[in-house]
Amino acid sequence: MNTFRLYLKSMSMLIRSQLQYPLSFLTQTLAQLVMEAGELLAVTLLVHRFDHLNQWTGGDLYFFFGLMSVTFYLTEFWGRGLTGAFSGMVRSGQLDTLLTRPRGVLTQVLCSAVDPRRITCVAVGVVSLAMGSRMSAVRWSAGNILLLAESIFCGFWMVLGLFMIEGVLCIYSVKSVEMANTLTYGGRSACQYPVDAYPRPLRAVFTVIAPFALVMHVPASQILGKPVFGWPGWAAYLAPLAGLVVFGVMYTVFARAIRFYRSTGS
Amino acid sequence: MAVQPQKRQGFALSYIEVRGVNKFFTVRKKRSRGALFREKETVHALKDLSLDIEQGELVGYIGPNGAGKSTTVKILSGILTPEEGTVTVGGRVPWISRKNHVRRIGVVFGQRSQLWWDVPIQDSFSLLRDIYRVPDGAYQKRLGELTEALQLGDLLRTPLRLCSLGQRMRAELCGSLLHSPELLFLDEPTIGLDAVSKLALRDFLRWENGQRGTTILLTTHDMEDITALSSRVMVLGHGRLLYDGAMRDLLARYDTQRTAAVRYEAPVELSGLPAGCQVARQGETFLVTYSPQAVAAGEVLERLRLAGPIAELTIQPQSVDHLIARMYREMEL
Repeated sequence: MNTFRLYLKSMSMLIRSQLQYPLSFLTQTLAQLVMEAGELLAVTLLVHRFDHLNQWTGGDLYFFFGLMSVTFYLTEFWGRGLTGAFSGMVRSGQLDTLLTRPRGVLTQVLCSAVDPRRITCVAVGVVSLAMGSRMSAVRWSAGNILLLAESIFCGFWMVLGLFMIEGVLCIYSVKSVEMANTLTYGGRSACQYPVDAYPRPLRAVFTVIAPFALVMHVPASQILGKPVFGWPGWAAYLAPLAGLVVFGVMYTVFARAIRFYRSTGS
Repeated sequence: MAVQPQKRQGFALSYIEVRGVNKFFTVRKKRSRGALFREKETVHALKDLSLDIEQGELVGYIGPNGAGKSTTVKILSGILTPEEGTVTVGGRVPWISRKNHVRRIGVVFGQRSQLWWDVPIQDSFSLLRDIYRVPDGAYQKRLGELTEALQLGDLLRTPLRLCSLGQRMRAELCGSLLHSPELLFLDEPTIGLDAVSKLALRDFLRWENGQRGTTILLTTHDMEDITALSSRVMVLGHGRLLYDGAMRDLLARYDTQRTAAVRYEAPVELSGLPAGCQVARQGETFLVTYSPQAVAAGEVLERLRLAGPIAELTIQPQSVDHLIARMYREMEL
């Protein structure tokens, strides 16, 4: 069975197992809804009070927020093995069990957990995206649809890549993962608003190190008809690929970390 | 006591061949006050370890906690790479072609589950089948065989979390054998099991080893496991192989004590026992300890009989646990 089918089968099994506790699942899913709706409310208050942020109208802000929610929570939904479970596996020694099976470690990590409770967060994101595109009168041309899909796809891999930092640090037995969190959860909180709202150093971090700006803001601003860095249209199609680069780099680092783990032991 | 690997005929490679393996761990100490960096300490986990295991053997691997047993298993199963030395298992170097190696072995860590907690056991098995890419026909045949031998039939639809410890261990064993590995590592398989489950598990291991010729390396603290299952035992201490040979011989070497428990019909005074006998009292029962190498049992019994009419008498050897504890002490482990 190939890797992707193995992943799908694992996911369906894990989701079924979570549904074994329907009440717990329901309440936690609702809790997620309340949390994410609260975040959206913050945007609403901002728009209500200030009307616009730099050149961005209320509709634009909803659009940025929605893109981030959809991307980030799709990653947490389907990539839970990396975004939540992996560090625990290293500490508990479960990683050893994965190493005794004839499959890649990353494949098995991704197959090991899923978080369907995030579905409500994704839904809030979709609503916000729809609201934003309506208010800002986005024209859904084929190019724009492609840009949005590309942005979400590349964003997914970028966020996975960023979460791998925590996993790698765990293997090198560094306990403090706060640094990794500034890039993942910090990046999500900061970059649900357009990046040009921030001072230059932060902008640099979210363009070069954790390129939320390239993966989300450049294509989103193109879709909204206000290119963020004043770049030409074709650049908007290239920029999100930075997300795949982040994943590629982190994958290499991750593989090295596993080699280190196997040579040093736990 | 230097130990040579068991002598082999000819020049053929053993199935498992370990030569001069050294393994070091770096342990970070707790940071002392004011120090900027934590001090590091190097632990020498395996010291020049060499051993041979032939295909189809069932070998017990014992030693106190921290002796390096798990480290050996991790190296043999390709999880860890040693700093020095060579290892081959079936001609493969475990840590070089990890995936190719692990598809041929099974590992059961007693304290760690490899099945999924909330799903029916058979779903876990089906996922393992996909992970190991077992063809469907072979899988069905093997599953039928294993469920019968492990009496898992009724449990397959039960989620793992609803199973008792004994049931869970049987399911774990089944899961680790679905891909018909040629080599099985068992780490404390009977820990926490009740007597019935233990006996059933041992029967199964004997069956798997005998029927399919699966090579089994059994790590345990339960000496009953070893005496019941394996004729060969390896003792590891401080990262060195201290003994490699027959369990029988190992026990004989340390089996130097018998205890006769005797109760009389009326109170008596024990006297004139042969030199070297020690007497203790437990209520109305005398416990007379002697060494069978130094004193003949008849001599002791004769003296006991002369003291008065005997109501009850038993003579017991030391338990295997005591023997092993003494062995560890004498080997300064």
